[in-house]
Amino acid sequence: MTEEITSVLAKFIAEKILKQAKKVIGPDEALISSGLVDSFSLMDLALFVEDTFGVRIEDTELNAQTFDNLSQLTALIVSRQK
Amino acid sequence: MAIGQILIVAAAALFWGLVMRERGRSHFLLIASILVIFWLQPALPLRGFDFWLPAATLVITVFSWYITAPEETRRERGNWVAAAVIAGTALLLNLTRFLPFDSILTGARPPQTGIFLFVLGAAGILLLLTTRLMRFNAAFLSISIIGLIIVFLAIKVPALTYWVSYGLRSLTHQSLAQAKVADLRWLGFSYVAFRILHTLRDRQMGRLPAANLAEYVTYVIFFPSFTAGPIDRIERFIQDLRRPQDKPKNDDLLIAGQRFTMGLFKKFVVADALALIALNDTNALQVHGAGWTWILLYAYSLQIYFDFSGYTDIAIGTSRLLGFQLPENFSAPYLKPNLTQFWNNWHMTLTQWFRAYFFNPVTRWLRSWNRPLPMPAMILLTQVATMVLIGFWHGVTWNFTLWGLWHGLGLFIHNRWSDLTRARAAAWGTTPLRKNLLAVSGALITFHYVALGWIFFALSSTSVSLLVFSKLFGLK
Repeated sequence: MTEEITSVLAKFIAEKILKQAKKVIGPDEALISSGLVDSFSLMDLALFVEDTFGVRIEDTELNAQTFDNLSQLTALIVSRQK
Repeated sequence: MAIGQILIVAAAALFWGLVMRERGRSHFLLIASILVIFWLQPALPLRGFDFWLPAATLVITVFSWYITAPEETRRERGNWVAAAVIAGTALLLNLTRFLPFDSILTGARPPQTGIFLFVLGAAGILLLLTTRLMRFNAAFLSISIIGLIIVFLAIKVPALTYWVSYGLRSLTHQSLAQAKVADLRWLGFSYVAFRILHTLRDRQMGRLPAANLAEYVTYVIFFPSFTAGPIDRIERFIQDLRRPQDKPKNDDLLIAGQRFTMGLFKKFVVADALALIALNDTNALQVHGAGWTWILLYAYSLQIYFDFSGYTDIAIGTSRLLGFQLPENFSAPYLKPNLTQFWNNWHMTLTQWFRAYFFNPVTRWLRSWNRPLPMPAMILLTQVATMVLIGFWHGVTWNFTLWGLWHGLGLFIHNRWSDLTRARAAAWGTTPLRKNLLAVSGALITFHYVALGWIFFALSSTSVSLLVFSKLFGLK
């Protein structure tokens, strides 16, 4: 289940945000603090998570302290789906 | 803050952290923070206002606590003790007016005690009336947010500040002709206002953790970060505040010592030396030749970084002694390869604040339109609006507006550029040498873009800023 979520997120980020479909994003690769996903794309990601997994990420949570890699984002999604 | 003041504050923190630890910690933090906001407030030409402005900070903070705290938290008995400590400390400070010598704890001799007691009583009655007559619903919180923004603007818009000073001078029977913006230099209020706005908004969204009066006031005016940030979040701050304090570990002391010493060195050695040749309103007019103008600009760019990040190091080091791990505010911003990254690493707690309470909600709202704007238009709008507001946070003047526009446009251009070239850059930058080349050239371009932006920030007039631009490029 979690692996599935991670791979859906990785695909979305590579294709839609980075526009490099072949790019492999590791589960522990820094997304926000590294600048890979900028603040505007972060909202894309939040809206995608909301639409796909039915989990809301608040405006105040879109930062590297809440999640900075796919593992952390997946854990956040799973914890809120329960 | 002067170096003497910093050393006294650090010595107090060291004493409490090492010797007293848990004993009376919450009262110490509260009382020390109250003393510091009065002590650091500079003397003002407006009679008594170096006392009334910190007092107003306390009144606004207590009101904000009252309207944001849940009912059951408000009823806790400990709040009466905290209220007595706050009022008592302010009263003691006021009573220093009777000392035979000038008190060092206030900018000038405090106002008459009778007037102080009257104001204190009036604030208490107002609070009671508010609690009886008002319901603290979302609409009331919105009105409070707007009210606080109006107070903020009153000290940030020079024309408004002038008129407020004019009005206050008629109250204090002082010369109206002398009214000026410097009359209302309210130390630390920009930070105080933004911490309070965060709690008001989070309460409105139902996300604010319960905090008692002492915790809330300590959060808003926490003395190590009162004058220059960082702007912490209350949910993080109260975790540190509530954690029982053991004896600081060697690691804590080492880190605190390193950060504190590094901060002093950055601020009082590097930044103060650079200040001698940094761009300012006077030398901008005097300097001749592009080379010298660039030197002034480089010196300013480095000075503002070392000054501000030095203060942050001092705040982080001092608070570490007391068991707090304040958030970082700077992370090598001038070495970042693009402007987006620069803003992720410069005055981070302020940019995070604006992202959480302005950029993200506005972006979300724009995205929810049935027929949304084209993506580039949306990015342009949100980036420019956010950066102009960050400019306004420093002061509502033409130059801060231009500085905000400069960065908003820069972020937009970088966003579009990286969208166009990201895939190509990734395909080209396959070897370490090429990657480094991209990173170094990006950092150089970014640094110069930021440095040119400082011309608006450092100088008070647009015409002088434009003159400096023309000197830099050999046009004058």
